[in-house]
Amino acid sequence: MASADQQTFLDNLRQALSKGAVDAPVPAGDPVDRHADIYQPQTRIPSRSREESLSLLEQVIQESEPINLKVTACSDIQAAAMEISRLAVESQPEFGDKKQIAAWNHPLIKGLNLPEALKDTGIPVAFPEQTHAGDREKQRQWIFDAYIGITAADYCLADSATLAMKTRVGEDRSVSLVPSIHIAVIRLEQILGSLKELYYILDNDPKHVKEGLTPCLTFITGPSKTADIEATMVHGAHGPREVHLFVVTG
Amino acid sequence: MIPTPEKYIDTAKKAVADPVLQKALTGLQERFGRGAALAYQQLPEGPDLRHVAHDIRMDAIQHLDSLLEELAGNFRKKGGQVYFARDAQEAVAYCLKVAKANNVRRVVKGKSMVTEEIRLNTALDEAGIETLETDLGEYIIQLANEAPSHIIAPAVHKSKEDVGRLFENKLGIDYTDDPPSLTQAARKTLRKKFLAADMGISGCNLACAETGHITTVSNEGNIRMASTLPRIHMVFMGMERVVPRLRDLDILLRLLCRGAAAQKLGTYISHISGPAGLDNLDGPEQVHLVILDNGRSRMLADPDFREMLCCVRCAACLNVCPVYGKIGGHSYGFAYSGPVGAVVTPLLVGINRAADLCQGETLCGACQNACPINIDLPRMLLLLRAKLADGDAKWQVSRRSQLEKAAYQIWSRIMQNRRVYDLAVGVAKVFQRFLPTSKGLLRSLPPPFNGWTKSRDMQPLAGESFSRWWKNSREGGAHGKR
Repeated sequence: MASADQQTFLDNLRQALSKGAVDAPVPAGDPVDRHADIYQPQTRIPSRSREESLSLLEQVIQESEPINLKVTACSDIQAAAMEISRLAVESQPEFGDKKQIAAWNHPLIKGLNLPEALKDTGIPVAFPEQTHAGDREKQRQWIFDAYIGITAADYCLADSATLAMKTRVGEDRSVSLVPSIHIAVIRLEQILGSLKELYYILDNDPKHVKEGLTPCLTFITGPSKTADIEATMVHGAHGPREVHLFVVTG
Repeated sequence: MIPTPEKYIDTAKKAVADPVLQKALTGLQERFGRGAALAYQQLPEGPDLRHVAHDIRMDAIQHLDSLLEELAGNFRKKGGQVYFARDAQEAVAYCLKVAKANNVRRVVKGKSMVTEEIRLNTALDEAGIETLETDLGEYIIQLANEAPSHIIAPAVHKSKEDVGRLFENKLGIDYTDDPPSLTQAARKTLRKKFLAADMGISGCNLACAETGHITTVSNEGNIRMASTLPRIHMVFMGMERVVPRLRDLDILLRLLCRGAAAQKLGTYISHISGPAGLDNLDGPEQVHLVILDNGRSRMLADPDFREMLCCVRCAACLNVCPVYGKIGGHSYGFAYSGPVGAVVTPLLVGINRAADLCQGETLCGACQNACPINIDLPRMLLLLRAKLADGDAKWQVSRRSQLEKAAYQIWSRIMQNRRVYDLAVGVAKVFQRFLPTSKGLLRSLPPPFNGWTKSRDMQPLAGESFSRWWKNSREGGAHGKR
């Protein structure tokens, strides 16, 4: 399906490449393999014991401090639901005074049963595509007006305290982006060591290979920030000014 | 005011005399320059990982034609649209065509130097499309009607008082010079714009051929907004930004974020491959990828400058460059400043037009050490100077100074003949007595050599040459006679 613009463009590149043929031959093979002494590629998906996962959690907590990410370990899902309810009650909306929450339609998030937990506080929790089924604009508006967005994540990377999340039906990108406070909930097993490990899993785990990257795979490392005025760090430039990660360990 | 590289010397002079700018540049370099070096040291693989990154990038550049073909094919498979633009005009025309066809009235932009390069904003403004920069720094300089002075900290030349007065004027808020309050004011204003925009425009840090996706990095979240909320997302990508495999991003993103801002990873990294599905609430209905040449294929065709295409525009070199640290970004007169600008700008706009840029750099090598890809910028700066001295038909460079060339040719003859050399030096020794001096140094040389002493003093020739002194000291005992 190459268009005319593509053909002319690439023909021009081919000509440039042959013109600029470098005298020394291009070394054969993968550059990563040529540097095996420095960079060891991942070769298997690690399976970790509970102790190993707990030590990765320690690393997440350590890495979260400099980037202002708040991490809370919870023994079970009820404990996480209680913590989140408390946070919802204590936090104030940044825009307007209406308190409403947008959440992903994801089994782990549904399992928190937040509408029930927050019933007495009068703070409504919506899973947008259910609450306003069929009305796309109303669903979007709910997310824009929410002061808290709650999502799950595919993984959390221990060495940089980074959340990695794909986008799927019911798992919309704006929930982790537009509300002032982003709350993410994961299970202990979802913590990986590093970015290298994540890309290896995306490349090799049959589930991910089949699904692909989805229209948008996002990494989130702490709250939104800027230092554009006299290099002064300010949180909440455009994205959330607070990010809370709850890790269910039980 | 449209910046231009011809005004390098004048703009640099003003910059050096501006105390606010000097303070800002020093602060920037102390913070980011040192931070990046430390961040490379703390890599699990150590700073040598930069050499692996160089190999990955160079490999990609050597196979650019097939990688771009693969990228375009895979991007289209996921429902995205790809346009190959040979120059700025074609890229701008494509953007306007898409905007018109979709009745686009309002555009929000994430920071993108490649759109600065093609002057996209001017074209959109002229077409009556409201175009807003959303990166806080870019927003500030757009309101002030200025050009960015740093690749990732575009408003580094503005003090918080400047921004306070600007926001008071343009946004109608009460004056404050408190950065959190100013940031909050911009956040509030731009939030409404994001929700109302028809099209989001962003750049592209890296693209991946095998997956057919583009990757964007930002700390503020504005690029996520621009690529999530409007119904159309258009990505502008310099053609060199592609890598073959997903796993190449591991090394490159870790190095890019360390080089740019001494971070392990930027706050937001998005891998975007095509429009959202019908069942998704957000995400654009159309995603367009514009792949831009605009002079890059000339670098590709020249083995001497091909390496420059490895650059990912992280601005690490700006944060350590002693010249950038004094003259700031505006002096370079183009989208790209600092050492990267001093090499890329002449190659894109003409080596003679931007002649001062490479002459102004010091060749100290700090830029190469700071580069996350270990690009040999000093080598290319020197090559550009050689082209200006000798002329170059392939790059249509005319000799900068016939007189200088002739003078060096004569000097070369003189130096090769001992007797002529001694005679010339003898004559010079006599003449230098008539030149003005200060603290034992010559203040100015007579024309045509006076350019050399315009900004520096010169050591006078010694009364006795070294060879004569050596000879005498051999004959006259261990310490010689002076």
